Amino acid sequence: MTQTTLPPTEKTQPVSAPRGSISDRSRAERKLGWLLAGPAFVVMLLVTAYPIVQAVYYSLFNYRLTDPDNRSFEGLGNYWVILTDGVWWQAILVTVIITVVTVAVELVLGFALALVMAKALSSIRPVVRAAILIPYAVITVVSAFAWQFAFRIDTGFVNSWFAWLPGVSDTTDWFGGQASSLFVICLAEIWKTTPFISLLLLAGLAQVPDVLQEAAKVDGATWWQRMWRVTIPNMKAAIMVALLFRTLDAFRIFDSIFIMTAGANNTESVSFLAYRQTISRVEIGLGSAVSVLLFLSVVLIAFLFIKGFKVDLAQARGER
Amino acid sequence: MSSITDVAPVAATRTPEGRPRRTRKPRSGPLLGLLAWVIGFLFVVPVLWMVLTSFHSEEDAATNPPSLAAPLTLEGYREFFGVGTGTNPWPSLLNSLTASVVSTVIVLLLALPAAYALSIKPVRKWSDVLFFFLSTRMLPIVAGLLPIYLFAQWSGLLDNIWLLIVLYTAMNLPIAVWMMRSFLAEVPVEMLEAAQMDGAGLLRTLRAVVAPVVLPGIAATSLICFIFSWNELLLARTLTGTVAQTAPVYLTGFVTSQGLFLAQVCAAAFAVSLPVLIAGFAAQDKLVQGLSLGAVK
Repeated sequence: MTQTTLPPTEKTQPVSAPRGSISDRSRAERKLGWLLAGPAFVVMLLVTAYPIVQAVYYSLFNYRLTDPDNRSFEGLGNYWVILTDGVWWQAILVTVIITVVTVAVELVLGFALALVMAKALSSIRPVVRAAILIPYAVITVVSAFAWQFAFRIDTGFVNSWFAWLPGVSDTTDWFGGQASSLFVICLAEIWKTTPFISLLLLAGLAQVPDVLQEAAKVDGATWWQRMWRVTIPNMKAAIMVALLFRTLDAFRIFDSIFIMTAGANNTESVSFLAYRQTISRVEIGLGSAVSVLLFLSVVLIAFLFIKGFKVDLAQARGER
Repeated sequence: MSSITDVAPVAATRTPEGRPRRTRKPRSGPLLGLLAWVIGFLFVVPVLWMVLTSFHSEEDAATNPPSLAAPLTLEGYREFFGVGTGTNPWPSLLNSLTASVVSTVIVLLLALPAAYALSIKPVRKWSDVLFFFLSTRMLPIVAGLLPIYLFAQWSGLLDNIWLLIVLYTAMNLPIAVWMMRSFLAEVPVEMLEAAQMDGAGLLRTLRAVVAPVVLPGIAATSLICFIFSWNELLLARTLTGTVAQTAPVYLTGFVTSQGLFLAQVCAAAFAVSLPVLIAGFAAQDKLVQGLSLGAVK
């Protein structure tokens, strides 16, 4: 799929160069290329491949760090334990809910925001852009604490501000139940990352050829038709990139949950479950199996996105 | 749909007759402008409130609704920086700074040649290599946490800032390679060829042709790597203790112990966020292109 881009090899070879020197030079250049890319490649291979391979290995054993002598080979037994346990499926459910809700809301909200910014006078756009970037730059720990503070029953001001809403009163305990806890977690995530999505989509909007909009208008297309037939198809690359990145990030959610609920009331995400099993409970075998499953889920999502939706990052760029 | 995407964007600014078209002034401009302001304001308000509270005294900070006109004081900051309380955030801030800056420098040293090889002088199977890098960006860090932890324990690198530096380097390297590649792709190929024809060596070409075009991109890349390293919590929390703890870890502890002193907590949060806010502000021009790994400009 990446072959549809401009083959960059053609760009670098001077057309007028004599034949003999091309192969010599290109061979030398290829060698240089590997020499240049090699160190980064090796570092990544060492630091990312090693832990994953090691985790796969550990996951085959019944092994507690506190009891290292009783290590026994389990085969796929750990996976069976996890996949037949409600805790895993609960974590998957929570993670999927958070991912779907936040990504969907962020996409719609971000798109609306991008449309508003695109139409707004160009003089104020940089200021608004800088302003909405602030939530994205605030460190996750801080934003998680801030949202927790706002919603907490003892310190929060949300209850008194929104008491007029049905179901909200001074005694509403947002972190007392699963649904309301997840609501606050999603809200914090949405607040934090919508700006990024909207800026990405704003950049995508700028790539839609004006002349097409005009043509559609002349042909009598309504605003809605132009949106669906012209604008959105032409900014598919930006939308797909936003979707892919945010989905993967949301699926790995850890910081917010760690700080806001610490997994209480069934708000544990898959990342949090893996953390708790390995680091807190030192169940190395089980925890590694959770990690491997999480890893496989992420690979699956990325694979589905890149193959299924034909997200081609290299090509998206070439189209500009 | 494919026929739609085939239209060259260049044509957009001209009418078929070739006259430059007047840029359309949207009629709804002012109204939408106001809306943009309102939305922008809504997104910033929690942060503004935090900053304001950090300059209030504890009594004023505790009022509900927040008092806007209360007198300003540096009390919260004095408390956070340990005047009178004995807490000292400086080691953790320094650790964060070391981890972020050193890892960013290493990332640049590794990513720049790699990105150059993958964009201007493409290695064979360049797209495979690129997607290998991208795939590592998508890994859930927590999946490798335990092997890393056990390795650190075995090698005695637990609670050592160098371990974080190596891990942050690996964490940011794929993003950096992709970002740099997107910035390097903007180098005009003709200029490279011209330099080559004139017999300029690699270093010369890099300095005279490539550097001027990509320096802003390099700056943005480093700022983004800095932000990610500074913000990282999971690895830092798991792999550091009292010696090498970073600012977010310190902050987590500070909030837990001082949670009731709102002004102090806000001051702490703002002080720890400030470097990232500055970096984000400085990088905002190229931030989107960078963070989308070059997929949009």
